[in-house]
Amino acid sequence: MEYVNPEGLRLDGRRFNEMRQIVAEVGVVSKADGSAVFEMGNTKVIAAVYGPREIQNKSQQKKNDHAVVLCEYSMAQFSTGDRRRQKFDRRSTELSLVIRQTMEACILTELMPHSQIDIFLQVLQADGGTRSACINAATLALADAGIPMRDLAVSCSAGYLNSTPLLDLNYVEDSAGGADVTVGILPKLDKVSLLQMDAKLPMETFETVFALASEGCKAIAERIREVLQENTKQLEYRRAA
Amino acid sequence: MTTGLVTPGDVIGKATEFKAGKGAYVNDATIYASLTGTCRIVSPLPESIDQRAIVEVTGHKAHGPIPETGSVVIARVTKVMTKMAAVDILCVGSKAVRENFAGVIRQQDVRATEIDKVDMHQSFHAGDIVRAMVLSLGDARAYYLSTAKNELGVVSAESAAGETMVPISWTEMQCPLSGQTEQRKVAKVGN
Repeated sequence: MEYVNPEGLRLDGRRFNEMRQIVAEVGVVSKADGSAVFEMGNTKVIAAVYGPREIQNKSQQKKNDHAVVLCEYSMAQFSTGDRRRQKFDRRSTELSLVIRQTMEACILTELMPHSQIDIFLQVLQADGGTRSACINAATLALADAGIPMRDLAVSCSAGYLNSTPLLDLNYVEDSAGGADVTVGILPKLDKVSLLQMDAKLPMETFETVFALASEGCKAIAERIREVLQENTKQLEYRRAA
Repeated sequence: MTTGLVTPGDVIGKATEFKAGKGAYVNDATIYASLTGTCRIVSPLPESIDQRAIVEVTGHKAHGPIPETGSVVIARVTKVMTKMAAVDILCVGSKAVRENFAGVIRQQDVRATEIDKVDMHQSFHAGDIVRAMVLSLGDARAYYLSTAKNELGVVSAESAAGETMVPISWTEMQCPLSGQTEQRKVAKVGN
């Protein structure tokens, strides 16, 4: 199967360095302290943040001078082409841990001792790149909740098919068997907070794919900043009225 | 140096020129924003030694308050035991917490005088509303609170008849309905 045609267009008409359409919205769950919906193409994720609140499982409080960050990732049964049966599986556990570690690195946990921050992520529609969308949604929700952060943690994936690096894989490209690199960065601090890859790549090719994913992360960060600033202006306008 | 709307991670100044205030943090001589909101510069107090201006970010939405050492909290007594009283912290300062934090008032922290003669059951009852100060973050279970000041103690209590009682001295409250007096560690309120 051919994923990049000779004119350099992908199956959905994008070029190698084009992202899918990004839609982001904050404040979608009224009961949550912070919430957001994040869409990358046909992938749609909703995130809710509760806290800082009292630690519920006291035994987790080994280092009590920091807030504990907990994360729960799940996919709705209707989110994939074939209806999913299992509520929690090994992949959900792995992703919950990965996202939790990524968010822990960017939250200023020492400012909220003896407390707990819960992040709930639900994939409403999956079309590749769900973990990147989850991290972006969680960042938006944390910023909406007013939790102090070092930087916005943003994430993007990239792959390598038909001898071409491709940015922001969709499901068909992801299933093609090529490498899939997921990168999470703190863009202003220029630090990598997440790096995952499956399949194999030569080192030089990996560097190219990694650089492409990093560029995608920075583009997403700009978009997220715009959404947050627009939301702040809306709130100030409403407050002034 | 930028003012206006900032988001987490935005550079808002140099650490050599400004001090990081609320909503900002220092990393390697650069000040970054940690909240989404408006960036402002606050002039330093004339008497402070460090004359650098303070740069701070006012968030459009603050997260819920967390009890800190030294803050005054309003709490509801949930259980009274021989040596301590368990409370739920309801407010930190003037802000309500969204979900309760557990606190404890130990026998030695009830009042500043006659510490060895304190009877917990004559100081608090379950359901009382107390004003207390956070002594420390405590152990793994609860914050340590203290009422060992005149302004701290029970601010509202119900009598056996179900009426809100009136404080009549620093150790007694009286029911306006039945005239029954009950023992409490009463807070000095207002004037």
